[in-house]
Amino acid sequence: MRPFRFVAFSVVRAWQGFWRNAMMSLAATATVVLMLVLLSGLFIVLGGLQSGLQYIEHKVGVTARLVDGLAQAQIDALVVDIGNLEGVARVDYISPVEALERLKEAYREQGLTLDLGGAPITLYASVEIALTDPNFAGSVADALEGRPEVERITTRQLDYDKLLGIIGYIRTGGIIALVLVGLTVLFMIVNMIRIAVYSRSGEIEIMRLVGASDSFIRWPFILEGILCGVMGAVITIILVATAWEPIQPIMVRVFQMPTAVSTQFLAVLSAIILAVGLGVGAIGSWISVRANLSSAT
Amino acid sequence: MTDTLQRPFVARSTPLEPVISMVDVGMTYPNGKVALVDVNVSIPAGDFVFLVGPSGAGKSTFIRLVIREQLPTAGRVVVAGRDLTVMKRSQVPALRRRIGIVFQDFRLLPAKTVFENIAFALEVTGATSAEIRQRVPRLLNLVGLHEHDEHLPAQLSGGEQQRTAIARALVHDPAMLIADEPTGNLDPVTSWDLIQLLIQINTMGTTVLMATHNQEIVNAMRRRVLALEHGTLVRDESSAAYEREY
Repeated sequence: MRPFRFVAFSVVRAWQGFWRNAMMSLAATATVVLMLVLLSGLFIVLGGLQSGLQYIEHKVGVTARLVDGLAQAQIDALVVDIGNLEGVARVDYISPVEALERLKEAYREQGLTLDLGGAPITLYASVEIALTDPNFAGSVADALEGRPEVERITTRQLDYDKLLGIIGYIRTGGIIALVLVGLTVLFMIVNMIRIAVYSRSGEIEIMRLVGASDSFIRWPFILEGILCGVMGAVITIILVATAWEPIQPIMVRVFQMPTAVSTQFLAVLSAIILAVGLGVGAIGSWISVRANLSSAT
Repeated sequence: MTDTLQRPFVARSTPLEPVISMVDVGMTYPNGKVALVDVNVSIPAGDFVFLVGPSGAGKSTFIRLVIREQLPTAGRVVVAGRDLTVMKRSQVPALRRRIGIVFQDFRLLPAKTVFENIAFALEVTGATSAEIRQRVPRLLNLVGLHEHDEHLPAQLSGGEQQRTAIARALVHDPAMLIADEPTGNLDPVTSWDLIQLLIQINTMGTTVLMATHNQEIVNAMRRRVLALEHGTLVRDESSAAYEREY
């Protein structure tokens, strides 16, 4: 019964304390929301870019356009040579006829018809090389560079490298911003609890004199900070869940690639938001309680 | 808790066993101010003791040492059989439940009613609602405030506020009651009413230590007097007056 009394007492007092200094509490909660929205944004953008990266990773390969008039034996020898290179997973020869079929298919997918005006068209033959790892793109391209059968080499390695760079910048910038906002949040919560401690100094003194244990004195304040963090987290989760669907097409438009992340990601993100909100609330209030309530002998 | 509810206000120390004992106690504050010098005193259970002396004589420091709000810089302070100088911080709350304390300025919570002020002292030590409902009315009866339980402190007279503070101090059935200038803010008639209440509590077995400047009360009561001057215990007499009579 005693532990129940302690928990009930602490929770009720934390709730009362939160609303007693409502302005300060809500301001601290707003900074928690700001921090968690920033955190969520960072996670969503990085998560989206990561899936975009995986898409490109999947697509990164090397395409070698072949010169005209190659004999089948030359093509077969080239395919075998390429297949023996390090990092090559598969080599596909695409004949001019297949290339034309693909082009027509691409038009059909966009609801168009390839109108050649009745004129015959011949596309280039090529070999498409799938890699075991995108990092082999450079070495495979280098190996093909001097081959007489090859007219031009194309690769999406540059796109991949660019995206990696963007992710790195966003991650670094996001972490710096998060640390700064996180420190602001801690500052706000520490001050919120400090003001709460001072405004209830009379009560605290009486509690000490009548023999209340440290737990009874401290935990309501710690729970008040946790309440602030959890409320901020819940508000953020609602905001993120509401914005989740509209964000997806914007992401695709901005980054020009399929960046959609799964709904499971949203669940994981919600758990992270809740944990961070709770953690920052607890840490802030614990720091404040230790600083402001430790003077008793 | 149930047991003590049935035996209200019975001192837990056996008679004549000291509830407060100070041995060679000295107290010097970090700023160099000497508050107590070589104080030796023993207060047995059931005693009613006045602590007198001019302002700055060391009375408040004496009380702060007894409730372990401060530790002495020299000597030993033993309260209810426990040496406070070696007591762990985690044991202090249990000690304070054995000591009731009231102050000149009452220190009531202004937003709480009389009932809630007394209940608060039980609530913050983990008492159940049933215990609170059982104990608080009994204390209100003892101090004569059963008809004022729903009043806020601001709606009470000074004497009634001090009675509320006394009820709150008795909430854990303490072995001793320390009153720091309890009549300081009260008129003479109300002061005597309050003293009658303290005598009643003392008669029930609770040791009372009262710091006061009120000569009239000390002289009329003729109880044990501890007199402090410049931190030194200059007089410890039974059935004594406020000032030295010889």
